[in-house]
Amino acid sequence: MEVKINNQDGITTAQLIGRLDTPASQEISGDFDNLTQYAAGTVILDCTELEYISSSGLRLFLSLRKAAASKGGKIIVKAINKDIRSVFMMTGFLNLFEIQD
Amino acid sequence: MKKKKKRSLSTKLSLWTVLFAGLIFIAAMGVFFNESRMAVQRIAIRNAMLILDNTIQHVDNILTKVKVATDNTDWLITRRLDAPDSMFVYSRRILENNPDLNGCSISFEPFYFKEKGQYFSAYSLNTGDGIETTQEGNVHYQYFSMDWYQLPKLLDRPCWTEPYVDFNPENITSPEMIISYCKPIKDHQNNFIGAISVDLSIEWLSQTISAVKPYPNSYTIMIGKGGTFFVHPDTTKLFYQTIFTQTLLEPDTAITNLGHAMQAGEEGYRKLDLYGEECYVLYKPLGDTGWSVGLVCPTRDIFSGYYHLANTIAGIVIVGLMLMLMIFSGVISKQLEPLEELAYQAEAIASGRLDEELSDLHRNDEIGQLSLSFHHMQQSLVQQIEELKIANEQKGRIEGELKIARDIQMAMLPKIFPPFPERDDIDVFGQLTPAKEVGGDLFDFYIRDEKLFFCIGDVSGKGIPASLYMVVTKALFRTISIHESSPERIVYTLNEVMSRDNDSNMFVTFFMGVLDLPTGRLHYCNAGHDAPLLVGHTGAGLLPVDSNLPIGVMGGWKFTKQETLVDPETTVFMYTDGLNEAENIGHQQFEMTRVMETARRLQQDDNFKPMVIVDEMMGAVRAFVGEADQSDDLTMLAIQYTKHQEDITYQRSLTLTNDIKRVPRLNAFIDEVCEANGFDMATIMQINLAIEEAVVNIMNYAYPKGTKGDITIEAKANDTQLSFIISDTGKPFDPTAKAEVDITLSAEDRAIGGLGIHLIRQIMDNINYERIDGHNILTLIKKLSK
Repeated sequence: MEVKINNQDGITTAQLIGRLDTPASQEISGDFDNLTQYAAGTVILDCTELEYISSSGLRLFLSLRKAAASKGGKIIVKAINKDIRSVFMMTGFLNLFEIQD
Repeated sequence: MKKKKKRSLSTKLSLWTVLFAGLIFIAAMGVFFNESRMAVQRIAIRNAMLILDNTIQHVDNILTKVKVATDNTDWLITRRLDAPDSMFVYSRRILENNPDLNGCSISFEPFYFKEKGQYFSAYSLNTGDGIETTQEGNVHYQYFSMDWYQLPKLLDRPCWTEPYVDFNPENITSPEMIISYCKPIKDHQNNFIGAISVDLSIEWLSQTISAVKPYPNSYTIMIGKGGTFFVHPDTTKLFYQTIFTQTLLEPDTAITNLGHAMQAGEEGYRKLDLYGEECYVLYKPLGDTGWSVGLVCPTRDIFSGYYHLANTIAGIVIVGLMLMLMIFSGVISKQLEPLEELAYQAEAIASGRLDEELSDLHRNDEIGQLSLSFHHMQQSLVQQIEELKIANEQKGRIEGELKIARDIQMAMLPKIFPPFPERDDIDVFGQLTPAKEVGGDLFDFYIRDEKLFFCIGDVSGKGIPASLYMVVTKALFRTISIHESSPERIVYTLNEVMSRDNDSNMFVTFFMGVLDLPTGRLHYCNAGHDAPLLVGHTGAGLLPVDSNLPIGVMGGWKFTKQETLVDPETTVFMYTDGLNEAENIGHQQFEMTRVMETARRLQQDDNFKPMVIVDEMMGAVRAFVGEADQSDDLTMLAIQYTKHQEDITYQRSLTLTNDIKRVPRLNAFIDEVCEANGFDMATIMQINLAIEEAVVNIMNYAYPKGTKGDITIEAKANDTQLSFIISDTGKPFDPTAKAEVDITLSAEDRAIGGLGIHLIRQIMDNINYERIDGHNILTLIKKLSK
């Protein structure tokens, strides 16, 4: 699992690559901690190459979303695949995040 | 109709009064008349006796006069025996001095006076016009042989003859019945020389005696020594009949006795029938003659005055009573007139005309009172009917509401049977037969996470309070059991809630169970309810239960859990006391023995499917109860565990240590299993997600930090489903008991955790947890889409 963070023009983009299963969530929890510092602005989570997400991964997404809400920032989830979209649907996450194709 | 009633009342009253007065009259008059009659009789007899005495005195006087006249002449004759012709003067003088006498003869023995020849009898006769004096003895009238001459000669003393016809062939002008007083004439040597005879006309005597009549129809009789009538109003009887003549034809002891008494010279009176008429006969002897005089007084004469008085008084009484009847009847009828009006008005009110105008009688008597009461009755009737109307409306509304309450209550109970048509491992049938009013029985069941939660209960009492308590109990059962799978804790929580603020001291006997469908393991908890029956292939018997306490009695009670393994095809039969305590008309109860009998019969017939057992039990109890009313709700719930042997077509297993790093290994295993069972990629990803969540949860919660343990994932598939059985030896951990997350909340409000179990429920078709022998067994099932 790999996370590539790029801050440009006040917009932070995090590229999530691979399977975000439980062990992976533990691995990248530090990257998400870093992302929270940009939560006052716009954070784009680019899921183009995200294959799988477990509930631990969803928890990371939710923590980030809560931080943005408290700081007045915005989280955009970009290009989630069909399977992850169905997981988002089951968990109500579609309503919590702005989803971009 | 009314008129008739009223009239009959007044008539009745009058009749009773008059009848009563009449009775008093009759009694008083009866006594009075009886006494009067006796007094009248006494007086009449005394009077008659006096009259009889007078008569006898009178006759006696006459007879004495005859004697005296005779005696007075007697001495003259003996002085003038020397002048025979002077005898004519004496004879004539006797008649002159005694005009009542009929005749007188002074007769002498033959040839006493030589110059007069053989016959010398100086005879004077009172012809009525004057006195004729003749010498009557001659050849044709040999007076020596006559009684009046012979008797004194033979007896040598004066005496009376019996009556005889004075027959003188030379003087036939006087063929009269006479009696004679005759006395011997003696010379100085005391030799019988002739007889002096003074005649008395019987007819005249009879007239004299009969002249005295105390009563118009009374008459006098006189009989001689032989009983011959001397005096009798019927002249044909004279001399030819005796007092006994009549008895020769018709024997009559009364007359005979009377005759004998009179002959014997007795004095007295008798009452007897004489010639067909009731008479009093008073009798008394006549001096020394040997004759007896009788005074015959007909009863009707004696009592004629009395009868007249009686008739007059009776007439007055009858007329008086009739007048009384008329006056009473009229007065009462008049007095009761207002009643007729009241009756008419009452009828009007009875027929619903409550506003009928009532007349005001202005009377102070009972009828005025009645009229007043009537007014009050009308007023209070109007008022009460109004109140009744309101009450009825309210009652109707309450009844309607009660019915709705009942319907709602019934609608809360499961009513679609079979409830799980898609399942082949469980069959349930329940039935609540309500008593007339709303009651407090309840039953419920549902499947969660491959566990059948079921309960049956009976709230104490009846009516609305019981039904409210029942609804609360049932709702709480559902609410609590959603996140709690262990029956004793469900019952504990129920009891805590229900016993709090339980001011009305209601309670519920309650039995609940949780049947683990994959294994047939039954956990149950009893709260004071009757023990269920187990009916299976091996027999029928009671499920052993701890009684504990009914719910609501006491907070803080630690309810005990019990556990058993239900054999396949065994039916658990539960019921409320409406079954075993159902009563027939004779107040006998159905009792457990009959419940058991029925259960055993079904067991022997190998026929104990839930619906059959409930129907048969119902049939048995109905047959027993008969016509009696159902007094209590009757609830039955039967559950048959019909788990069949699975035909496993695919089986794999994987054991991991509790290390999160082993998750990729798990994912690879899941991918392999799912692919082998023909799931598409999207579903495989979801199943992966679900299983990973379950396993990671176990790693995190069943094994506390720092402890080591294994987790085994067993995958089994048959024709219909794929099951993952995840087991571990960690501490008890039931992920199914976790509260559901609310996915509709905003990001700020949502908790970070709880997503895992939510996802598992979303993705998998069934989830089941059991803790068996120190193992947590979590089963996740996904149906095969074919």
